[in-house]
Amino acid sequence: MGNLIVEALSMGWMALAILVGLLIYFQVSITDPTAKKRAVFKTFIGIVSTFLLFIAIANYKMNFYGESRLLPVSLAMITATTFIMALYFTNLSALLKIGGFMFFVAAFLSGYGNWLPQVEGGFPPKEEKLDFSSMTPQQLADEGEKIIFGGIGKNKEQGAIGKGQCPLCHAFHAGMLGERAPNLLGIVNRAKERIEDPKYSKGNPAKRDYVVKEAFPGAGTAENAQEYIAESHACPSCYVVEGYGVKGTNDRESPMPPIHKPPISLSLPELVAVDVWMYVREGVEPPSFEEMIKSYEKFIPEGERPQLQENKPKEGEASSLMADGSEPVDQIFAKAQCVACHTIPGIPGAVGTIGPKLEEGTTAAQRIKAPDYKGSAKSPAEYIMESIVDPSAYVVKPYPDNTMPKVFGQKLSAGALKKIVDYLSQVKAGAPPPKIS
Amino acid sequence: MGVVTRKKLFSTVALCAIVVSLFLPIVMALPSPATGEEAPVAEGAPKEGEKVEKARDVYYKTEGIVVGAPAPKTTDSPTDYPRYNFESRVLIWFANQQHLYYGSFVLAVPIFCMIIEFMGVMTKDKALAKRYDQLAYDFIKISLTAYSLTAILGGILIFTFLTLYPTFFAYLSSIFRPVMHIYALMFVAESGTLYIYYYGWDKMKEGFLKWIHLSMSVILNVIGTLLMFLANSWIGFMMSPAGVDEQGRYLGNIWHVIHTALWNPLNLHRILGNMAFGGGVVAAYAAYKFLAAKTDEERAHYDWMGYIAMALGVAFLIPLPFAGYWLMREVYAYRQQMGITLMGGLLAWLFIIQATMIGILFLSTNYYLWQALGRMRGAERFQRYIKYLVFLMACGFMVFITPHTMVMTPAELKAMGGQQHPVLGNYGVMSAKNGGINVIIVTTVLSFVWYMRGNKVPTVSWARFGNIFMGVFFACAYINIIFLAIYGYYIPANVRVGLSVPQVASTLSCLFFMFALNSLMMKGAKQLGPIEWGKISARSQYALIMLATAFTWMMGLMGYIRSSVRLFWHVNEIMRDNSPWAYTHTVGFAANVISANVLFFWISILFVFWLGSLTAKKAPVEAKVGVPGAIPQPAGSH
Repeated sequence: MGNLIVEALSMGWMALAILVGLLIYFQVSITDPTAKKRAVFKTFIGIVSTFLLFIAIANYKMNFYGESRLLPVSLAMITATTFIMALYFTNLSALLKIGGFMFFVAAFLSGYGNWLPQVEGGFPPKEEKLDFSSMTPQQLADEGEKIIFGGIGKNKEQGAIGKGQCPLCHAFHAGMLGERAPNLLGIVNRAKERIEDPKYSKGNPAKRDYVVKEAFPGAGTAENAQEYIAESHACPSCYVVEGYGVKGTNDRESPMPPIHKPPISLSLPELVAVDVWMYVREGVEPPSFEEMIKSYEKFIPEGERPQLQENKPKEGEASSLMADGSEPVDQIFAKAQCVACHTIPGIPGAVGTIGPKLEEGTTAAQRIKAPDYKGSAKSPAEYIMESIVDPSAYVVKPYPDNTMPKVFGQKLSAGALKKIVDYLSQVKAGAPPPKIS
Repeated sequence: MGVVTRKKLFSTVALCAIVVSLFLPIVMALPSPATGEEAPVAEGAPKEGEKVEKARDVYYKTEGIVVGAPAPKTTDSPTDYPRYNFESRVLIWFANQQHLYYGSFVLAVPIFCMIIEFMGVMTKDKALAKRYDQLAYDFIKISLTAYSLTAILGGILIFTFLTLYPTFFAYLSSIFRPVMHIYALMFVAESGTLYIYYYGWDKMKEGFLKWIHLSMSVILNVIGTLLMFLANSWIGFMMSPAGVDEQGRYLGNIWHVIHTALWNPLNLHRILGNMAFGGGVVAAYAAYKFLAAKTDEERAHYDWMGYIAMALGVAFLIPLPFAGYWLMREVYAYRQQMGITLMGGLLAWLFIIQATMIGILFLSTNYYLWQALGRMRGAERFQRYIKYLVFLMACGFMVFITPHTMVMTPAELKAMGGQQHPVLGNYGVMSAKNGGINVIIVTTVLSFVWYMRGNKVPTVSWARFGNIFMGVFFACAYINIIFLAIYGYYIPANVRVGLSVPQVASTLSCLFFMFALNSLMMKGAKQLGPIEWGKISARSQYALIMLATAFTWMMGLMGYIRSSVRLFWHVNEIMRDNSPWAYTHTVGFAANVISANVLFFWISILFVFWLGSLTAKKAPVEAKVGVPGAIPQPAGSH
């Protein structure tokens, strides 16, 4: 609160000074006691309202990018301000009340938005280069589970979702939600029955009564269970399970997108990993990696196979970024090599002594208040950001200036910087380190 | 054939010819409209003898000759994403939203003017006709200053795109090159027509010239609507691209690029949304003038103006949920994951806010109507039933905002023991929610019917039968909607989806049949007392302001949802967003930015209103208020 008042005064001191000047002027110049009382009182109300207004603005300014969910309080304060003013400035009463009411509606709706659970959509999944071909079935299954559910052991967690996005529509266990697409429990065995379904038209795709008859001309139909699963991924509309087609198409078209194409774009080895998880979790031995890759190659022509590292930045451009923000914070610290010079509680390997120990949850606020502090930060978060992008703004004693590189503002993405600031602002001296996210 | 009839016929034919000629540039720009056949060799395509590369349209699946470059693969670099020391996405969000607010307003107001001017021309009562004409003039006057602001904001938006997202904008403009030029030319046509329409108002106020003037408002609106359709094609393309291959290469067929999967639902949704929004803004203006009025005469005029604006706005608000439903259906049909991200995934909480806001909008409307009953003598008989309507609306509202499945953090999931709430999770399926909103809409229709009957008693011979029929009709509609809402719990999800059709049918039948029947019954009805314009409570005016602010907020919210559903794509599945802001903000952050946008808009539009009041004042009310016959009948205003 103290910071807020200081900030409000630093922003609004001129307006307040003018009002105080007016107050004194009215006190001195008006002779009629009733008129004087009224003018002085109105000016006093003006001072109070202006002060409230600047507190509200300061709250917005200081907490805009923070985790504070109390920003709408500013709007409520402005509402109160306008209503107070409307009581005394009758000429503008209608306008002030309407304005105040609008601020109130906005405050209510903003407050509602801040009161609800806060979910932030993460950065797009980064394509990692893993050598799937040399993995054991269990390792492959683990990778598959990560792709489907976002992590190992998450398959029974309702709502868990990975880059494959499968659980958006499919359920994987008996009794779990997923009414939009078939439950995939038992699919490795059921696949054999599916290819014998007359509607599937095994061996004769031309006879199929679906929007798409073949994955691509000449692809043919599946001959075994694995090929059926591969075809379902590559060409969902080649065969649609009854009751799960696009509404109005009489189950001739599937709502499922081809998984090897955008937006999901799983590579062939990733698709194999997904399949292996489905085999392994049911205790069925999966076919070999090569066989499974072949099953996909049968239905995905070469030109359509997504290349790993497709979005690798062009040389000389963003490849110069040390971290793009999609990594966990410990990796960001490692990639930016902060760990070489700083000790950072909670970060493995961060035991450097060239720079100060980073316990910014405690030290940042003290340093802003230090008499020799000349930077422009007003909050710990701003101080941390300033120290990264402009290390010379304030140099902690007894460490020398110009030791820390000044390039981190360009070498780290905004997302990575935000993660660093968030983490460091939670590190407090004498307290257990925060969790890595 | 009389002279007048011939003149009318002539003006109609002339009007049609002008409207048709307006479409010409678009027709000329379309090599193969809508049929999906192969595109002809377009400008820039390889000439005969050269090797041509063919590719398949991502949406229409037709083959076309590649004439464009692939979508650029951007990187987080100063070349692709130059920036200030601030989040570029928030800046573009702000610029876009302000342009959209003003754009919607200036597109909606001429449609109002057209309707009101037409009502004035058709009304036999001279005094009332004059009042309508004056009202239409007042409306267009308000929009004129806003018009130039819209153009300025459009310029700011383009500069923001060019400076902060140059690579993306270059790609978009490489595809939409001809559309963008047609857009610019049509903007010139829109401005010209608007100025002639506004400045020619007094010169063209009698006889044949009045018809020409009215025809110009039609032309003005046709141009305005086409302008909006063209702008919609850009966002339609970003959400559901077509006319390009998988690499984003343009295939030469501009109609495919314009006519994407979501274009038409977006068009309809935006027209209705603009109208409801425009109604809200004008109603707020009238409310402001009413509250600031010094004389009874002024109060009467602005009370009436507020009522007409509100009625027009609500007339378009009622079908809006249905248009929204169609849009969502098309989203699901286009990409199921996109639909789920919206309604049951990452953005689902925002839909809970939307549901709350729809509830607020309808509650405010009803509250205004109930307050408005107070200015009619004879309407007291309805007052004691209002509490039942409140009860129905509250029940509908509670059901409507109950969520079924939600995205949650792992900690929240653990605390709740699953994705569904142990108690609430049993409720909130779509058929029940549809039931909730349909009950709200039917209740609003009932409020309107009561309002139209406020100071009147039907005198037609079949009045008793008519009343019973209406009562039974409403009761059946309620029973059907509520029964299906409950029945939805007993059937599987894919069957349940179909229940919305009979539910909506009940609501729409109420809307159309009951209004029509009520109007018939009110013909020659006995008046119990006059409508005392200006005698409405000040509280009602705050309901109008609430309506306007909530609508502005909801527009901001829905725009944000529509845009952020692309997640990390500039153009869905074609061009990836590799900026540092390719993540989705929290609900709270979005709500704060939306509030800032809304408040900026309202502060600036209040300034526009103030500017409007500086121009030479025309007498606001020429007909004397309070004289029977001069007072507009609410029934005729719907």
